[in-house]
Amino acid sequence: MIIVTGASRGLGKAITERLTEKGEKVVGLARSVNGLSIEAIECDVGNYASVKNASREVKQLKQPVKAFINAAGVASMNMAVTTDESTVQKLIQTNLVGTIYCCQLFAPIMLRQKHGIFINFSTIAVALALKGESVYAASKAGVESFSRTFAREMADFNVRVNCIAPGPIQTDLLKGITDTQIKKITSQQVIPKQFQKSDVCDLVELLIDERASSLSGQVLNIGGV
Amino acid sequence: MKKKINIEQATKIVTQAISDVLKGKAVISEDMQLIGGKSLLDSMNLVEVCLLLEDLADEHGFEFDWASEAAMSRSRSMFRSVSTLAKEFSNQSEV
Repeated sequence: MIIVTGASRGLGKAITERLTEKGEKVVGLARSVNGLSIEAIECDVGNYASVKNASREVKQLKQPVKAFINAAGVASMNMAVTTDESTVQKLIQTNLVGTIYCCQLFAPIMLRQKHGIFINFSTIAVALALKGESVYAASKAGVESFSRTFAREMADFNVRVNCIAPGPIQTDLLKGITDTQIKKITSQQVIPKQFQKSDVCDLVELLIDERASSLSGQVLNIGGV
Repeated sequence: MKKKINIEQATKIVTQAISDVLKGKAVISEDMQLIGGKSLLDSMNLVEVCLLLEDLADEHGFEFDWASEAAMSRSRSMFRSVSTLAKEFSNQSEV
């Protein structure tokens, strides 16, 4: 089975739907599981006890975990000086600490299997140092560095860890961002266009495939930087 | 509160787990260091020992939490020696 956090909306939901279509058994982790059509466990990734409980429930399913996808995340488009304290805390806690908790607490399942894949999410804002995304980028830069190092820690157990860094993809996270602002970002990419959720799903599928077995510790920027 | 695994049993379990991971290539004593320069276990071995103990605890009907704050605190680390790990294993078996 494949576990996806943030499965109730945005990229997490799109990834869940794509993998389910491809015949994978997907278990979603989300703060609210109401209305989810797949097997789901209530989980707040920023809360250690919540992630620990979710890992216990998954362990009880006694099924191999093929991959774990840390798609849960929050964003804030604000200059650092206008970002309030609680938003700073929320960004770091959900995006960075949540990713770390999930990797820490679900890794033992994969270590026993001597096989597994983690896919974490960063943002192109890290590589491009996008103005107005400093705190968000900081939370994701931590995810990148953690992922690259965690990949080395997991390599001896045949567990791969990679990071996908999307540009502006049309989800709730882009609410309030104008087309002009989006174009300003995408113009800095190698491929200067706005990519879609389906492109992210394609990359997830690629990283899960055995043909990607040579890839670990990498950050893949969608659109290129 | 009663412990499911007493300290003698815990010491046997921990010793056996370490021996299994080291494939019988070392003599395990109670004061054997589990972390630090003098340890015979590398970080991967230590994780394997913890996973084994987690599974054994499961068989005995309790959860062995090796990622707890006590485990991680260097001064109180359960990984200082075989005997400290056995003590923690026994303590966590309390019902």
